[in-house]
Amino acid sequence: MRLLASVIIAVVLVSSPAAGQTQDDFFNPEVLQRVELWLHESDWEKLKANFQENTYYPADMIWNGITVRSVGIRSRGLGSRRAQKPGLRVDFDRYSDGQQFLGLKSFVLDNLSQDLSGVKETVAMKFFTRLGIPAPRETHTRLYVNGRYAGLYALVESVDKTMMGRVFGSINGNIQNDGYLFEYNYVLGSPWRFGYEGSALTPYKARFDIKTNESHAESLIWGPIEELVRLVNTTPSSSFEQTIGAKLDLPAFVRYIAAQNFIAQNDAFNGYDGMNNFYFYRLENSSVHTFIAWDEDNAFLVPDFAITMRLDENVLTRKTLELPSFRSQYFAVLSEAATSAAEWMRAEMQRQFNLIDQAMLEDPQKPYTNAEYQAERERLLAFPDARVSFVRCEVSKQIGAAAPSGCQ
Amino acid sequence: MKGPLFLAVMALATLATPALAQDRRGLVWDNRPSIVFGEDINIDLRGRAQFDWRKFDPQREEEEFDVRTLRIGLKGNLTEHLDWEIEREIAELYDEGATEDQIDLGLVEPKWRFGQWKDVFINWTTFDALSLKGGRFKMPFGLEQNTGVSDLDFAYRTFGSNKIAPGRDRGVMVYGDVLDGALLYEAGVFDDDGDNAEFSLEQFVLEGEDLQDAGPSFAARVVGEIFRGLPVPDRLKGAEVGIAYTQSDVPEGLNSLFGEDPFGFDFFERVYVKGRRQRTGLQFDWSPQSLGFRAEWMQSREQRLGQSNRNENLSDYIGTAWYGSATWLVTGEDKDSDVTPNNPLFQGGVGAIEIGARYDQLSFKSANTEGPAFRNPRSEHLLSNTVKQVTFGANWLVNRWVKVVANAIRQSYEDPERAPRVLGAETFGPTDFWSGLLRLQILF
Repeated sequence: MRLLASVIIAVVLVSSPAAGQTQDDFFNPEVLQRVELWLHESDWEKLKANFQENTYYPADMIWNGITVRSVGIRSRGLGSRRAQKPGLRVDFDRYSDGQQFLGLKSFVLDNLSQDLSGVKETVAMKFFTRLGIPAPRETHTRLYVNGRYAGLYALVESVDKTMMGRVFGSINGNIQNDGYLFEYNYVLGSPWRFGYEGSALTPYKARFDIKTNESHAESLIWGPIEELVRLVNTTPSSSFEQTIGAKLDLPAFVRYIAAQNFIAQNDAFNGYDGMNNFYFYRLENSSVHTFIAWDEDNAFLVPDFAITMRLDENVLTRKTLELPSFRSQYFAVLSEAATSAAEWMRAEMQRQFNLIDQAMLEDPQKPYTNAEYQAERERLLAFPDARVSFVRCEVSKQIGAAAPSGCQ
Repeated sequence: MKGPLFLAVMALATLATPALAQDRRGLVWDNRPSIVFGEDINIDLRGRAQFDWRKFDPQREEEEFDVRTLRIGLKGNLTEHLDWEIEREIAELYDEGATEDQIDLGLVEPKWRFGQWKDVFINWTTFDALSLKGGRFKMPFGLEQNTGVSDLDFAYRTFGSNKIAPGRDRGVMVYGDVLDGALLYEAGVFDDDGDNAEFSLEQFVLEGEDLQDAGPSFAARVVGEIFRGLPVPDRLKGAEVGIAYTQSDVPEGLNSLFGEDPFGFDFFERVYVKGRRQRTGLQFDWSPQSLGFRAEWMQSREQRLGQSNRNENLSDYIGTAWYGSATWLVTGEDKDSDVTPNNPLFQGGVGAIEIGARYDQLSFKSANTEGPAFRNPRSEHLLSNTVKQVTFGANWLVNRWVKVVANAIRQSYEDPERAPRVLGAETFGPTDFWSGLLRLQILF
């Protein structure tokens, strides 16, 4: 009972000063946030020295005058991990049951180490949201560690039960956040393109890290994934939509890969080294899976990124797009994306650059120079118009429509 | 393992011939193999083994068979005034350099080999009032901790004896008894702060700084028969009461004492400490005839200088433990000394049978208990966790070499998140556990 009381007191103390503030304020993209972390100097040094490890360290966090005590922070990322400027995961309930901040259990501080512009990730996610694709909320923040400016970071909503509830809403008062959520685990040296890996669950366990309902039986967690992969690989075209459609939201999948192609994301579902960078969610009390966008900081590669890039390599992509209806949908989504981008993307990029420019220039830890940042900024600002034109021309070729003016 | 074990048990169970070492030199059998060079010069070969079979309810993520102890050693006298002892553990150990990942994935296998040194000391005993001991041995803190692993009343030591009392270390100690044996004193200086406080986590230092160990530490204990001169019943006059104290300095890091149960589960992980570590202990030991009563209270207090998230001082980290136990040698042997069956098995008797019960508990917390509590190892107010344990035991001393121990143990944990995990459980809890243990002990 004493334990419970302590926990309740902790939660109340943390949450009460936050009255009036919301998650939307925290992820408000119109504002350059300021997040402070206070942790023991030796812990910060340890975290940086051991940046490849996932060891948690205790810290206090301050945002907008609100102090959250005893949060847990750790280094995060795959290729983006850096000693000098670590990417961080902040967990509010690491050291206290149920401690939340504005209803969040955690969030991510993306170090933007692979994004010389600083806005690829945030623009991409906002664009996905415009297109109706489940994606985390993001904004930018200056991060201060022990009172010192540690650099410009992207403030990223964690893909967790809280986000699932936000994205999928509630049915009859039941929040749809109790399904099976997986983070795709890119296995170094073992690129995977949805080929069947046998009936044993081990390879699927290795690739799909379970994030909810972890204690359930393995057959409940990974069995449906093995079944989905097997069926994708064995089901003929004639029954593909009916069979796979019962296990995977195919229209949502097509929308997802088309949007990823539009933003010329080379390290994504149809990536250069197999699948990468996504979450996978089996909806509550359902056999249907869907994709959640994650980690798009390699987007905007080149404006003339082929709109059919690697569509034949991935088994799921290939077999889905062999069906005329989904192939038509794929190009339709590309056209929709071009329309959306034409009226929005460059202005949004410019707005974000205006927001972060000073913070980026002052960032003492970024692994690139200010000149490189500025060059990338100019390159990125030129991307939307060029990409819109390219995609419109290429789509017209694919669907046999009249080419828009300016196409070659 | 089980075949040779059975043969050894049968051999030792029937080895009940009286000792024949008197007035002999060379290799003799004096309850154990011994080489006698002269009147006060000899070397004994010593060995001890404990094999445990365990059951858990609810089922825990623990092995059911455990080789708890396997040690071999030598003990001897150099002169009338000097004796010595060395003992080393044999254990299943992984190669040095094996990583946790390799172990978790089963890529490396442990091998039986020599492990930790236990006692390695020399003892000068010319004067009862002033003796001197040097080497590696148990620091003078804790009645039960200073009782040999094969002479315990119950299978496992109490939480406090295992996790607060320091155990062995390298050092030098003066000791003796005065007032006609009514008062025993011990005081020593030691290299670190005991095996039970040994750092288990990799130490981290900033560039240019050196790695530091705990210590040196100082330990002292005084035990007296405080009722001897008082008008109390004669039976009570043999009761001993003692007080003990240790002090050392601990370098910065996750270097505190921590809570671990007998089966290896950590119920209170290390917290960040820096500064002075003190232990205070009280002990009571009374063994009227075949009865035994023991009790201890002990507390550790560790400073946390500059350990907050903002490098400020935190309130002290405190561990508190106590226990009380009662035993009865049903077959009538005297509890006051090494218990040897009056009538060993196959020598006209059934051996010695002892029953007993014990309650013990250990808790860790911060000195400051105001404000919200966290499990954060740098929290000003640490969320406490207490484990309480009741042990019911029966010992069958077959003869001087073989002992069978049966224990039923009930543990209760305060914090469900820091209670042992139940196999297959979806959530934290339960907090109460039963364990059953059957031990075969062989000692020579």
